[in-house]
Amino acid sequence: MKAIKARELSKTFRVRRKEKGMYGSIKSVFSPKAEEIRAVDKISLTVEEGEILAFIGPNGAGKSTTIKMLTGILYPDSGSVEVLGIDPTKKRRQLAYEIGTVFGQKEQLWTHLTPYDNFLFFGAIYDIPGREARMRIRELEDVFELGDLMDTPVRSLSLGQRIRCEMAASLIHRPRVLFLDEPTIGLDPVVKENVRSLIRRMNREMDTTVFLTSHDVGDIEKLCQRIVIVNHGKIVLDDSTAHLKGGDVSLEKVIMEIYQSEGGRPEAS
Amino acid sequence: MKKYAIIYKAVLMENLQYALQITMGFCSYFIMIFVMVHLWRYMYQSPGSLIAGYTKEQMIWYVIATETIWFGARSATVSRQAAADIRSGNIAYMVNKPYHYPLYILAKYTGEWSIQLPLYVAFAALVGTGMVGGLHRMHPVGLLAVALAVMLGVTINGVFKLCISLLSFWVEDSVPFQWLYDKLILVVGTIFPMEIFPAALQPVLKLTPVYTVCYGPAKLLVDFGADTFGEILLAQSVYLAAGGVLLCFLYRKGVKKLYVNGG
Amino acid sequence: MLTVVKNQVRVCLLSVKYNIMREMLNKVTFLSNILFMVLNNATFLIQWTILLSLREDVGGYTMREILILWGLAASSHGLSHVLFARVFSLPELVINGKLDAYLVQPKSVLLGVMTSSTSASAIGDVVYGFLLLCLSGCGFGGFCLFLLFTVTGAVVIIAFALLLGSLSFWFVRADVLQNNLVNGMISFATYPDGIFEGPVRFLLYRVIPVGMAIYQPVHVIAAFEPHALLEVVGYAALLMTVAVFVFYRGLRRYSSSSLMAARM
Repeated sequence: MKAIKARELSKTFRVRRKEKGMYGSIKSVFSPKAEEIRAVDKISLTVEEGEILAFIGPNGAGKSTTIKMLTGILYPDSGSVEVLGIDPTKKRRQLAYEIGTVFGQKEQLWTHLTPYDNFLFFGAIYDIPGREARMRIRELEDVFELGDLMDTPVRSLSLGQRIRCEMAASLIHRPRVLFLDEPTIGLDPVVKENVRSLIRRMNREMDTTVFLTSHDVGDIEKLCQRIVIVNHGKIVLDDSTAHLKGGDVSLEKVIMEIYQSEGGRPEAS
Repeated sequence: MKKYAIIYKAVLMENLQYALQITMGFCSYFIMIFVMVHLWRYMYQSPGSLIAGYTKEQMIWYVIATETIWFGARSATVSRQAAADIRSGNIAYMVNKPYHYPLYILAKYTGEWSIQLPLYVAFAALVGTGMVGGLHRMHPVGLLAVALAVMLGVTINGVFKLCISLLSFWVEDSVPFQWLYDKLILVVGTIFPMEIFPAALQPVLKLTPVYTVCYGPAKLLVDFGADTFGEILLAQSVYLAAGGVLLCFLYRKGVKKLYVNGG
Repeated sequence: MLTVVKNQVRVCLLSVKYNIMREMLNKVTFLSNILFMVLNNATFLIQWTILLSLREDVGGYTMREILILWGLAASSHGLSHVLFARVFSLPELVINGKLDAYLVQPKSVLLGVMTSSTSASAIGDVVYGFLLLCLSGCGFGGFCLFLLFTVTGAVVIIAFALLLGSLSFWFVRADVLQNNLVNGMISFATYPDGIFEGPVRFLLYRVIPVGMAIYQPVHVIAAFEPHALLEVVGYAALLMTVAVFVFYRGLRRYSSSSLMAARM
């Protein structure tokens, strides 16, 4: 079975435009101007089970919107999605048991509680019985090296420690597909490397499919077998990392060139 | 002084955008007036009777006036924002800026009510005339006097609310104190005039901020007299001066505590 | 099916517990919030003592009915804010795209959102409500009815807030509408319905749902009538069903924070 299947996925947002200054504010009250922005434009994509895929592109290219449609947060305007054979628009809850999400800076944890209490809460959310949940927590504690942090309220943890806890929390139910949106943003090099090796380990040991967005070429280079680049809501490249890296030009340079050559295109609307 | 004018102007501009929002605020205001009008219609059994020396029309207009002041002076700046600035430690940066923090907040507050209040006054005139009929004719000079009293009252209100927010230097949450102040104004000064309370309490009530913030201006509107005006103006001046001194005192003490404890 | 409900309830209770723990981080603030709310509410006793000294009854209510009215308004309002405080800031969450975390959980989005915060002072409202009930001298039967109507009242308040808040999926300014109408409802809830006549009464019983949340229950506690009781329960259930339906319709239009990103 394919882990992710998306066909002709599209999403358009209507954005209100306001002109500058007081005149503009007054005008926008009486005749609001709306503009349509096509965030995702007929994206089709399949991901095999067990694959680690980098889904990248410049800011505003449509990465997050795509992830949100795959995870059931957003309703697509058109097209179809299946994740592990489940349609997120129809069976959102059923899908939620199978997937895990870490959305960069957005926090899912209760900051006044310790990681331990947080994990218990997530255990309850995924209907894991108390005993099993405690076992699972001990496992995650080992993998993520959380031993010293377990009794410290989340708000007193450093950013790196928090991200580790966020990831651990989103793995408590052993998801088969993991969506990571900028998991290493703002972390120092050592922690970054830790997070990467964790992702690799999960993928190897539990055959977890990983769908990752990142601006960090290191993440991509060290983790992903395959790279998909989006720009202006469309897929502009879908290739293996090895193939892209070939030759003596660095991956970073290759990606930059693709971004720039696509950047000049007029926006589709 | 110019910088305060600029703060004032900036907030004025910002608030024009929220004119729509203010219009929606009329909804709550209208409901309140609506309830009050019905309440007092019920309380006056016979048309000609007096309660605490007020006719039915005077009573309802009194309530409309106090509610207008209450709604027109509503602002999160002197209460929630000031308290949040202090609790979050933002104040440490503001202390170093080339303006006096309490005056900055008051300028912002003034920018807010000078849009809000006139809108409510216009709406109140409309609703009041529609629901109880016009008030006795009033001399334009008298109206000016009322306007002055209202502006002073609203300013005094801002000074006191800000004083309460400054308590955040010492207590975790100053909001409960705001509630008590608000309730004092609402229960003693908004729903009915002070004369309705037992005679023994009158002198005490006259000493509370209620007298200068809402009772005074509203009383002038429904029963104008040069003597009353003089008395209220005097009380307001005293209150404004005392409030100002209190404000400065609390602010100095608070900032000093901030430096000692390092925020 | 039963396990699904059980698991959902377990998560909700855990949320409420964690919320209250958060409020209790500072015990002094927590307790003073509750205490000040009780005092704050109690000031209105002055108002009613004075009004009732001017006339024997206000809108057919004597002090006993006023106490029940205020008690019920305070306890329903309090209960709704202790358990489901977030519903009152739903527009803010919708507009700023803060529903994401609840949408990736295998539980009800609506319950997850609503139970994600609480208000300490609302505990003071509940306490005050029951204090007034004791003062009013209702018997055991009255107490049971009061308990039931506290729940139905809270359901009506939440449903009303949810219905209006869900409009923010369509209009950005729904926050102001929600705020005003919910506050307006509370304003009405603290005055006797007897001071209103004719079309206004119709409005209060059918459009702004204060009649079914507060007035009719007060009448039932004062003089029991099974038919009126069933009407209240049915009304609460119906309004909640409609509100939930509108919320899920709106959720399809949810745009997360993508609009914000697009604005840049």
